[in-house]
Amino acid sequence: MKESLRPVVVLTGICVVCASLLSFANQSLGPRVEQQTDLYVRGPALARLFDLPAGDLLDNKVTVTIDDIAYPIFFRTEGERVAGLAVETTGRGGYGGDVVMLIGIDLAEDRLLGMEVVSHSETPGLGARIEEEAFRQQWQGLPAMAPVGLQGGNGSIDAISGATVTSRAVVDGTNRIVDLMVSHKDLVLAAIEAGKDMAQEEPEP
Amino acid sequence: MSQGGFRKTLTSGLWSNLPPFRLTLGLCPALAVTTSAENGLGMGLATAFVLVFSNLFISSLRKLIPSTVRIACYILIAATLVVLVEILMKAFFFPLSERLGIYIPLIVVNCIILGRAEAFASKNPPALSLADGISIGLGFTGSLTLIASIREILGAGSWFGISLFGESFEPFGLMVKAPGAFLVLGVLLSLMNWISRRRGEVFVQS
Repeated sequence: MKESLRPVVVLTGICVVCASLLSFANQSLGPRVEQQTDLYVRGPALARLFDLPAGDLLDNKVTVTIDDIAYPIFFRTEGERVAGLAVETTGRGGYGGDVVMLIGIDLAEDRLLGMEVVSHSETPGLGARIEEEAFRQQWQGLPAMAPVGLQGGNGSIDAISGATVTSRAVVDGTNRIVDLMVSHKDLVLAAIEAGKDMAQEEPEP
Repeated sequence: MSQGGFRKTLTSGLWSNLPPFRLTLGLCPALAVTTSAENGLGMGLATAFVLVFSNLFISSLRKLIPSTVRIACYILIAATLVVLVEILMKAFFFPLSERLGIYIPLIVVNCIILGRAEAFASKNPPALSLADGISIGLGFTGSLTLIASIREILGAGSWFGISLFGESFEPFGLMVKAPGAFLVLGVLLSLMNWISRRRGEVFVQS
């Protein structure tokens, strides 16, 4: 009995040590990884979505929690008015896991500004091609209040050949934001107004 | 272990056990990411880091780990180190980690890691296993950087991103594509075998 328990105990012990080591590393380096992602991925992505130079775009950020899901939202103002949003969302069911992306929304025209990929674990040459402009630009100008879909289904998005699963995950992520805007647009805008005021009262230290 | 055994272990990864050529393990990253010298060096160092520490830990725990679950334990240790490398790379070398992408997580199933764990670290004391990890790791880094340098110089006319030949150079585009990797690997392997044969070495893997 004792001999048969040993493998279980050793393996469990190693698991516990490994898991605690990794959660410690993730805790302590997580903020730095986020900062690097801001610098190298989110910044350039926002600059492309809003067609503005990068830099201060990252500071215009609020996090809205609706139905227990936190949505990081970047916004662009024109004078007093909020003119554009970029909402970060997670598309479930990619081939290598979830796909994190930014969906840009033009509030004046009620159209999508575009889609930008923040992080993914898809196969190079197949699913990873969601990063390519040819795929991303299909989002530009789509109506913001109607669900998107793949061609052959009920939409206009041309899926990447050989990577339908990944393309579907991106569509899934987009539709989460479309749903959010259809049902909770007021809440989102109110949160941004509140966040905007807070940013004005407390200038960057 | 004698002094000679230690020195032999430290140098084995640089010629007699040189990966990927002599071990013929770890060919996937050697072919896939060696499109530029910087990628090759980064991939080599990441693998070396995992290899050095997996050898050290597996060797330290070798009397504790029951043989029935040893492979699971090795993979667990290697996977932990790989995720650690992934987090460290994202925190400090973000652009490189973006370029290497999926190939960093794939170090877990790199046969060199498991191969050295099974063939060396599980049978030798920690200090010697550490030496083996450093030796094989450096050998792998050197090989990847060499393959990547040849491919980048011929295929893009640059080395570590620095343009070498100016405007007039017509890059040999095939070299940075998949067939180029096989060509370079094959030529280097035959060159290495030719030198070994001339020196009268015996081809036996330890």
